[in-house]
Parts: sequence; C-alpha cells; structure tokens
Amino acid sequence: MIELKHVSKLYQNGVEALLDINLHIGKEEFVFIVGPSGAGKTTLMKMLYREETPSSGQVIVDRVNVTELTPDQVPYLRRNIGVVFQDYKLLPRRTVYENVAFALQVTGAPRSQIRRHTMQALELVGMLKRSNSFPEELSGGEKQRVCIARAIVNNPPLLLADEPTGNLDPQTTFEIMELLDKINRRSTTLITATHNKNIVDMMKRRVVQLEAGRVIRDQQLGTYSNS
Amino acid sequence: MSVLSNLEFFVVEALRSIRRSGLMSFVAIGIVVISLSIFGMFLLFMANLGNMVAFMGSRLDIVAYVDKDLTTDAAQVLQNSISQISGVDKVVYIPKEEAWKNFREEFGAKLDLREVLDENPLPNSFSIKVTSPDVLPKVAEAVANFAEVSEVRYSGKLIKQIQTMVDAVRIGGLILSILLFFATLLIVVNTIRLTVLARETDIYIMRLVGATKSFIRWPFVIEGVLMGIIGGTCGIMILKFSYEAVLARVRNALPFLPVVSDPNVLTLIYFSVGLSGVLLGMLGGYISVSRVLKEKG
Repeated sequence: MIELKHVSKLYQNGVEALLDINLHIGKEEFVFIVGPSGAGKTTLMKMLYREETPSSGQVIVDRVNVTELTPDQVPYLRRNIGVVFQDYKLLPRRTVYENVAFALQVTGAPRSQIRRHTMQALELVGMLKRSNSFPEELSGGEKQRVCIARAIVNNPPLLLADEPTGNLDPQTTFEIMELLDKINRRSTTLITATHNKNIVDMMKRRVVQLEAGRVIRDQQLGTYSNS
Repeated sequence: MSVLSNLEFFVVEALRSIRRSGLMSFVAIGIVVISLSIFGMFLLFMANLGNMVAFMGSRLDIVAYVDKDLTTDAAQVLQNSISQISGVDKVVYIPKEEAWKNFREEFGAKLDLREVLDENPLPNSFSIKVTSPDVLPKVAEAVANFAEVSEVRYSGKLIKQIQTMVDAVRIGGLILSILLFFATLLIVVNTIRLTVLARETDIYIMRLVGATKSFIRWPFVIEGVLMGIIGGTCGIMILKFSYEAVLARVRNALPFLPVVSDPNVLTLIYFSVGLSGVLLGMLGGYISVSRVLKEKG
C-alpha cells in the first residue's frame, strides 16, 4: 500500500524534518507513528497526500509514485486518502451533514450518491442524529466523529489520522480509537500519528517510532516506548 | 466532471460568499455600476457624435444662392454650366418657393414661423453635391465666379474639424475606458479576494478531499459574474432612464439635433455594457482565487 524509499525532507529554513526514511506498510494495516513533537510525524503524513514533497527519495501510495504526480493529478490521489485532524477542521457555518457531504460535492459526485454515502458515513460514526447541528454545538469527541465521517465518506482505501485524540479526554479518546479500529477492520489502511502513550499501549499494533527525523524502531504489536 | 451538474453547488456557494462579505460586496457592486455607467455614457456619446458627423456629411454640399430676379431659363443654363465643373456630382435647382416649403416642412411643426415671418425670405439656390469633400473649396470657388451667383456656402471645414475632434474623443474615451476597466477589475479582485481569505479553511478542505483547481475556482468566478450581472443591470437601468430623459429634453429644446434613438443601436450599447460587467466579474473572480491556488500547488 505504502512504500517510502530513502525519503528525506530538508525545509528551506535548514530544518531536517526527515532523514532517509524507508518504510513499507501493507494493505489494511493499522500503524502507529509515535515520537515527540518535532520528530517528523506530521511531515511524514503530509508526504503521503502530497501536501509536502520529499527533498529526495520516493513516496509510493497504492502503486502510484506520489513524487512524480503533476499538480493536476494530485486531487485524484487525495480522493483515495482520508485525513483526520487534531483540530477537526470542520467548516463552522455548515451543518454536520453539509460538512460531510461537502467532501463528496467537491469531487462532483451525483446528488443521490452524495446523500446515500453521507448518511452511511454519519451512521458509521454514530452522528446521524446530529446531522442538522452546527459544529459549535458539538463536543470535541462529536466533532472528531464528524471529521472522521468526512474523511471516510468516499470510502478511501487509506485513512491518515494526525493526533486524532490530541484535544480529547481519556474516555472520548478511547471511543475515537475504537471507531478508528472499526474503520480499519472494514479493510481501510490506517496510519495514526500520536504521542498518546495509553492508546498505543492499549491497541498493541505495529509501532513506528520516529526521533529527529529517523525511524529508530519498527515493531509489530508494539508499545509506545521500548522499555 | 461537468460544470452544469455542479452549477447549483457553485451558485449556492457564490451567494453564500456575497452575503457573508455584505458591505464589501455592496461597495464593489456600486463601483461596477459607476464604471459601467461611465462606459455606457461614453458609448452613447460616441454614437451620437458619429450620428452627427454622418448627418453633417449627408449635407456635405455647396449651396449657391443666386440673384432673386434670375429667370427659370437662365437658371437652367447656369445649372448646366455648373454641372460642367470638374468634381461636381449633381446639381439641383431649388426655387425659393420650394426652399420655403421644405423649410416649413422640416421645422414648421416644431416652430411657428408665421408669427415671425409673413413672406418667403429665402432666395433661389442651387444645391451642388461634390464627388469628395476634398474638392469642395475648388468647386465653391469656381461656382462663385459666375456672375449670377450672389453667395456660396459650404461646411467642409467644419466637417473636417469635427472629424478630427471625434477621433480625439474616440482615442481619449478608449484610454479612459481601459483605465476604468482595470481600476474596476482591481476593486472586484480585491473584494473577492477578501472572501477567498475568509474561506481559506473551505479551500483547504476542498483541496484535501480532492477537489480540482477548476472546481475550487468556479464559485468565485460565479460570485464575480453575479456581481457583474447585478452591477451591469443597475448600470443599464441608470443609462436607459437618464438617456431617455435627456432625449426628451433635447427633442423639445433642440429639435434639429440628430440624436440617436434607434432602438437597435441603443440595445447594442446596453448589451455591451452588460457584457462588460459580466466579463469584468468573471475575470475578477478568476484572478482573485488564482493566487491562492498557485501558492499551494
């Protein structure tokens, strides 16, 4: 599903965000990317949906060499990747339904399909009852559910979650991780960047640990730290 | 991906955006109205000027007044002689009775001359058409040499002066229109750019979920077009009503002035104004969002 070959990223201000990363992630895997802030987790995620391009090396997603895409091709790559954010990035003047449907509308999907898929996604994340609410009326956990619904509404084979529980309390964090786990089991490859020790230790999945832009550990059924 | 199937989404997004930046949209539309009105007034002015020149060109002839007591036979002989002059196209003898009748027909309905004049004050005359305006002075001079001719008049010089003036006005107006267009464009671009900035998260999300650049651009282009349509419609109304008011007054006060009132010509002018508005908005919307899209690649 994902292949990173000798990927390095040097920002213009001289910061080396990633250094010679080699990584293979198979279909339907559930991978945690862990490490302290500034270790390169977010940069690594951005490489996958081409928000960033590597200074050197190759990024391959679903057999497509992302580094070689022209700007015109990038939208079609992104339709196959869902992204979940720590700060949800919901559109404030739109209802829950509209926020989720928006992701389909902008791909030019037909109206009947938009409605059906939006309902299904909201159902899956348990937010169908709140579909007419505005984001400001929702709790953090509910907002994150809507954000997840938007990310999966066009059934992408790959879901990226960047600190999805960073703003949530432990109970809600647990619920969101359960939801992500459920989506992963529906044959969606899931990559979660986090520095929340508890969820990593609890889920016992593959753990890729970054430090100062390098992979220092890649462990199946791992925990947050080696010790 | 067809534009039509997404049109509803685009228009809804555009209206949302206009409403959100209310005052700024209002100001931008106002400036579009003013610019288009000025542009339309220029077009109307040029049409009238052109009309005036054509009108005067059609009168581009020499009038030779002859002695009052010239007999009809003598007039016939003189007419033949004048026809022989090189550069003369056509010579028509106008007896004073006919001249008086024509004059009254042309103006009688509008001016009551009988109160001022009881009898025909006009002399017999020849109307001489020439082959080109350039030969006017030569022909006029030749005609004046006939003893029976008391006075020769022609308006060639005036025509030339007017033509020069019209050319100057046309160039000046063109430059003014272009400046006006860019000034208005700048304001429309900046107004829509404000809504672009206000919708940065929307655009970010759109890009993230795989909207193409053209898809992101459409609502902003439509926003511009809507502003252009509203501004254009207001501009046309202002032009139409004010021109009709001016027309009515001119017809009353200066009935002999050849004003443009052909509905086809007026429709064409109003249509050009409306079209300019739409183009202005379309271009404004396109430019305003392009920079944001370019930055992010």
